[in-house]
Amino acid sequence: MSHELRTPLNSIIGFTGILLQELAGPLNEEQRKQLGMVQNSSRHLLALINDVLDISKIEAGQLTLSPSSFELRHSIEKMIQLVSPLAEKKRIKMRMTVSEEVTDITSDQRRIEQVILNLLNNAVKFTEEGHVEISCRTEDDHYILLVSDTGIGIRPEDIPKLFQPFHQLDSGLARKQEGTGLGLSICKKLIEMMGGTIGVESQLGRGSVFTVRVPRQSGEVS
Amino acid sequence: MSDSLLIIEDNEQNMYLMHFLLEKKGFSVIEADNGREGIEKALRFKPGAILLDIQLPEMDGYAVARELKEHPELSGVPIIAVTSYAMVGDRERILAAGATGYIEKPINPDTFVEEIIRYLSTHNRSNQEGYA
Repeated sequence: MSHELRTPLNSIIGFTGILLQELAGPLNEEQRKQLGMVQNSSRHLLALINDVLDISKIEAGQLTLSPSSFELRHSIEKMIQLVSPLAEKKRIKMRMTVSEEVTDITSDQRRIEQVILNLLNNAVKFTEEGHVEISCRTEDDHYILLVSDTGIGIRPEDIPKLFQPFHQLDSGLARKQEGTGLGLSICKKLIEMMGGTIGVESQLGRGSVFTVRVPRQSGEVS
Repeated sequence: MSDSLLIIEDNEQNMYLMHFLLEKKGFSVIEADNGREGIEKALRFKPGAILLDIQLPEMDGYAVARELKEHPELSGVPIIAVTSYAMVGDRERILAAGATGYIEKPINPDTFVEEIIRYLSTHNRSNQEGYA
C-alpha cells in the first residue's frame, strides 16, 4: 500500500521542485508563489500519508523495530540541522546540551530520529520567541532526552489528549498549525515499543518540556 | 569507467524526473524499464553507476543487484538503490544484495544529483584506497 500512495506523490514533489529550481525555464513571481503552494501542500500530504501508514501499522501490530548501534549525539545533531531553517526564519535560538557520557545507543535509529525530529519540530512550531533546547544525559541504563521550549505551552486539561491520535490541540494561534495530529501519538507508541516512556510538563504561555526516557540497549542487533 | 548513468526504473514519470535532473547536471543517461533490459544495458554500456529501483515487475531490484554482481566486468560499478521502501530492513536487504548506496523516494530534486555525486566520489575514493 505504501508504494502505491507514495509513487504519485514522488512525481508531484519532484516535478514541482524541478520547476521551482527553474531547471525547465524561468518563472514569474506568481508562478513561483503558486508552485510554492503546490510544494507545501504535497509535502504536507506526504507527512500525512507517512503518519497514517505508521499509525495503522502500529495499531495492526505490524511495525517492527530494526535495532542497530549508533551515536545518539550524531542523531541529535542531524535532527537539529533539519529544523534549523525554520528556527532561523522565526528567529528562535536552538540550543543543544549533550553530556559527555552520551555515546552509542542500540535502538532503531530511524525511529529514534523520527521522535527527536517530531519533538523539535513541534517545539519550533509552537514557539514565537525565545529558544528551543534539546539536552541528553544518562540515567542508569537509560538515556534521558529533554526537549524544552519557550512557546505557547499546553493547558493542563489538554495534556491527557496530547498523545491521542488526531488531536492537534486548539493552540489559540491565529492559524491552525500545519501538522497531522498524529506525530505525538506515534512518538509515544514508538518509545513504548522500545521499552521507554515519554511525558510532558507545561505551563501555559511559558513553554513545554517533553521528556523521553529510552533504554541504551533495546533489542538485539540483527 | 564512463560518465554515463544507467537508470533501471519502471515508472515512466520517475524515470523522466531522474533523467531530467541528471542530464541538466551534465550526466548522460541510459534508460531501462525492467531488470532484464537493465542488466543487458549494463553489460553493453559499462555505465559509471547504476540507479536501481527496487519494485520492478517480474525481476525485482534485489534479483537485479545480485545478478549484476555476478559479472566481474561490472564489479567496479556502484549500484545505488532508489526506492520508496521506507523500512530499515529493506535498506539492509538491498545493501546485502549488492547495492553500494541507497536513496529514498520521494527524491528531493534539490539534493538528488548532489547525493549521487557524493556516492560516486566516496565510491571512487574507497576503490583507490583499496589499490594503494
